[in-house]
Amino acid sequence: MQVKVLFFGVLVEVTGSNIKFYSDAKTMGALKFMIQDDFPEIVHYSYCISLNNEIVSNDRILKDGDEIALLPPFAGG
Amino acid sequence: MTINYLIKGPITPDFITKLIGKTTERTDTGGHSIFLGQVRADEINGKKVRAIEYSAYEAMVKLEADAIKDTILSEFADARSIDIVHSTGVVNAGEISLFVLVSAGHRKHAIEACSKTVELIKVKLPIWKKEIFEDSSFGWRQNT
Repeated sequence: MQVKVLFFGVLVEVTGSNIKFYSDAKTMGALKFMIQDDFPEIVHYSYCISLNNEIVSNDRILKDGDEIALLPPFAGG
Repeated sequence: MTINYLIKGPITPDFITKLIGKTTERTDTGGHSIFLGQVRADEINGKKVRAIEYSAYEAMVKLEADAIKDTILSEFADARSIDIVHSTGVVNAGEISLFVLVSAGHRKHAIEACSKTVELIKVKLPIWKKEIFEDSSFGWRQNT
């Protein structure tokens, strides 16, 4: 299985990209560890996480094709 | 005239005129309240902001903006319609980056509903701004 991870705002600079695909991340918690392994600097930034356009706070089971986004604090207006 | 929530670049006076002109299509409204958000040339650590580059999670902006409209229209029974337009990309200091127009039966509700819409936009819409300074360096700003 594969999930799509999108990065926004300052996290685009931290990760050097705005999209990355991860295989075999069965839960959101596991995925977070994989992202932190790839981009250790990310632990210094605050962000919330959305799953298929909905912000989620607790751990979730992931399925093939899910879209996850890492969202730094919003700054519209 | 179809209005999407996001447009590339500044919201021009011409576009604003068209949006305002749309209000005459209705006859059940007695008051309209408009908010314009403008890029301010703030000075931060001795450096002046030349422009802001906005980026957005477009799919989620649409869902959240739809939800904001539903919230306002259910909270203010007198509110009839809500338009929200936000810039993406580079907007120079002095230019407009946010347009909100709330139409209601009466002025008080139009003003209150517009104010609440703007507050929800600040909190709910996944939009980010990178401040570009006059020396071309940049920094990230978040809402307070």
